[in-house]
Amino acid sequence: MDDAAFAAAVAEVAGPRQRLALLTRSSPREAWESLAGSGPRCDPSLPERMAARLDDARCNVVWTGGPGYPSLLDDDPHRPAVLFVRGSLGVLESRRVGLVGTRAATAAGRATASLLGDGLARADVTVVSGLARGIDGAAHRGAVMAARDGAPGRPFAVVACGLDVVYPREHAALYDEVAALGAVVSEWAPGTPPDAFRFPLRNRILAAACEVLVVVESREAGGSMITVEEAAIRSIPVMAVPGSPRNASSVGANLLLQQGCAPVMGADDVLVALGLDHRLVACAAPRPRPGGDDGVVLAAFDGGSLGLDGVMLATGFDLPRAALALGRLEALGWILRSGPWWEVLVAAGS
Amino acid sequence: MVAVAFVSVRSATLLGIHGEPVDVEVHVGGGLPGFSIVGQPDEACRESRDRVRAALLSSGLPWPNRRVTINLAAPMPHRKGGSGLDVAIAVGLLVVQDVLPPGVAESHAFIAELGLDGALRGVAGAVPLAAAVGAPRVVVSRTDERQARIAARCDVRAAADLGEMVRCLRGDEPWPAPAIAADDAADLHDQPDLSDVRGQPAARTALEVAAAGGHHLLLVGPPGAGKSMLARRLATVLPRLTGDEAVVTTVVHSAAREPLPPGGLVMRPPLRSPHHSASLAAMVGGGTAAMRPGEVSLATNGVLFLDELGEFAPSVLDALRQPLEDGVVRLARARTSVVMPARFLLVAATNPCPCGEGSPGSCRCDDRARQRYLRRFSGPLLDRFDLRVAVSRPGAVELLSREDGEPSSAVASRVAAARATAVGRAGVLNGALAPAVLDAVAPLDAAATGVLRRELEAGALSARGYHRVRRVARTIADLDGVPETVGERHVVAALALRAPVHRG
Repeated sequence: MDDAAFAAAVAEVAGPRQRLALLTRSSPREAWESLAGSGPRCDPSLPERMAARLDDARCNVVWTGGPGYPSLLDDDPHRPAVLFVRGSLGVLESRRVGLVGTRAATAAGRATASLLGDGLARADVTVVSGLARGIDGAAHRGAVMAARDGAPGRPFAVVACGLDVVYPREHAALYDEVAALGAVVSEWAPGTPPDAFRFPLRNRILAAACEVLVVVESREAGGSMITVEEAAIRSIPVMAVPGSPRNASSVGANLLLQQGCAPVMGADDVLVALGLDHRLVACAAPRPRPGGDDGVVLAAFDGGSLGLDGVMLATGFDLPRAALALGRLEALGWILRSGPWWEVLVAAGS
Repeated sequence: MVAVAFVSVRSATLLGIHGEPVDVEVHVGGGLPGFSIVGQPDEACRESRDRVRAALLSSGLPWPNRRVTINLAAPMPHRKGGSGLDVAIAVGLLVVQDVLPPGVAESHAFIAELGLDGALRGVAGAVPLAAAVGAPRVVVSRTDERQARIAARCDVRAAADLGEMVRCLRGDEPWPAPAIAADDAADLHDQPDLSDVRGQPAARTALEVAAAGGHHLLLVGPPGAGKSMLARRLATVLPRLTGDEAVVTTVVHSAAREPLPPGGLVMRPPLRSPHHSASLAAMVGGGTAAMRPGEVSLATNGVLFLDELGEFAPSVLDALRQPLEDGVVRLARARTSVVMPARFLLVAATNPCPCGEGSPGSCRCDDRARQRYLRRFSGPLLDRFDLRVAVSRPGAVELLSREDGEPSSAVASRVAAARATAVGRAGVLNGALAPAVLDAVAPLDAAATGVLRRELEAGALSARGYHRVRRVARTIADLDGVPETVGERHVVAALALRAPVHRG
């Protein structure tokens, strides 16, 4: 039996702190032997079963001090002692930017995350995120699209459950693509459920893996703000995408700006922060602003979301006139229908 | 010894919203003094014995101290409920004791409850009961007199108490003059009015379209946005009931013993708004031996308003689907089955999500919580709502505005005109148009066809949704004064009023 099975067995029975303490001092086999018999879960057959589970989950194991362990984590005092990996850790050799944000994102926030993911991947930057709903998923989707399109940058995901437990389930396809194009890692053994306490722990690894962390949309409190704290501890620069002060999903990001974080308006800003040549990112050609009724309706949104009531009140149009303008704006991609509301995708000024 | 030991008196009991004729057979014979009622009486019916005895004695009339057997004979065996047979039993006892002539039982039917003092009291369902009896004359209480006249096919007489009734039946004094019908217009006062609603142009338009086409309406919005306020005003823009509609609605309300307007006839479209704790029986009817009509039937020719749609039990909501489709509710029980009218306009209100804010940017719920919340509404039920609009809280500008909204009367006249157009063209309201006649009744121009084709190709519209959008577009065109071809502006308006419930 090889060391990987022992490392996996140690990860299965010991918590992150204990793992790190054991594995910095000794090899996985010795670590396991010091644990064996110390409790009912430390069954002598566990390493064998873990080896089978690793095969089933099609994942590799790296451990601190062992071969293939990412060197960028070596000096981190809270590094994950064991990492389960699907895909290639080589993507961490490139420049790395974390894109994080709330799960309850607005359509505009998701669109921004996706654009940033795409732009960074095209500039050969690894996009680090958590594969969660909302901003995370959108950022990865942007990076995956760009990579499929031939861009050099790759997606890299840190998840909070076993690699064979896809959470959220609707991201199963995205998950496979990230693993195929880049890598998905977790410090938890296959089969571990996505319990709430694992997410803050996951965020420390996510922060540690970035050179720059960008918060696209965040509430005042939440997972992204924990990631920001972890980044601050590690002196990793944090940037934020500004949002409307009336948008609850942007309050956290705006607070970060108030505290002095650099604002991000597009992928260029991040590339500049990395010291990279931002001319690689193709600038989207500005589109002509819609005029007439469409322009009046788009202006009424003021960058936020509106219901039919709001549109009619702000413009004074009757229902058919408002509906016609909304239909045209939606067809042209300026706004998006979201349940009984419409959201602006493109800021009125751009 | 009495000459007649047996007499049969006509009356009726209630089953659903129909009166079932019942012959009350009274037999007085030898044996120990006693009193029994047979023929499937329910508890209220069995208690008649005590009420009848007290009423007879209080009125100075004799009680037979012999063995009395009452049989409730009906063509269909069913459980006889209620207390409306009291007077028939009393009359039977008086006939066998020679206080009343035998002919009285042949020419009269009796529908009223007795008080212990001998007073005649009203019963549930006076309208259908009076319509059901086969006698040339029916005697009811004073309170039920006007109701009984609405549907009775015979002469209606009313008396205040047993003594007066006996004197009139014996010919000792004339029947009291019929009560003068109160003015029907009396029930028009004190209605809420749409002018109370400030702002909210989309919701107002949706309300108008719902009223004009008979399209079911779902209002989605945060607490305090005025969803209930709007929904409660829908009934005020509907036209007054026609004669036939008024009778049907009155019959249902009478059978459920709901208060009726002073004129007796329900002329305004009813508004029913059951609380979300409503049971299945309360919603669709049944639950008692008499099969009391439920809220869906009470809302017939009016509005059924379900506030906090998500809080209703799923079984109760799913039970609405059959009445929504058929316009009647069919209830089957082991002993009996009834069919009751249930043709109503459904208006529902719901919060968009657990935190109530809903709109992107202000909602504090995560996707999962929101989806769990929306999963409470079954797809087939949501599909029945042709109109789904977001209602937002009115802003300070609208609230402080001195300007009233457009009053109900102005909206009602446009609604009436659009309804007349629709009925004149197809014989039914647009909401009830069959898919097969849509091409003839609601032809689309080229631009409108293009819009719908794009929606269908994008998968944003199902086949059923497609027909529904066309019906709503027809109504919007009618309100727009375009009774022929439906244009692009009408179709996009219909699409805008049919919001997807789930956020993308």
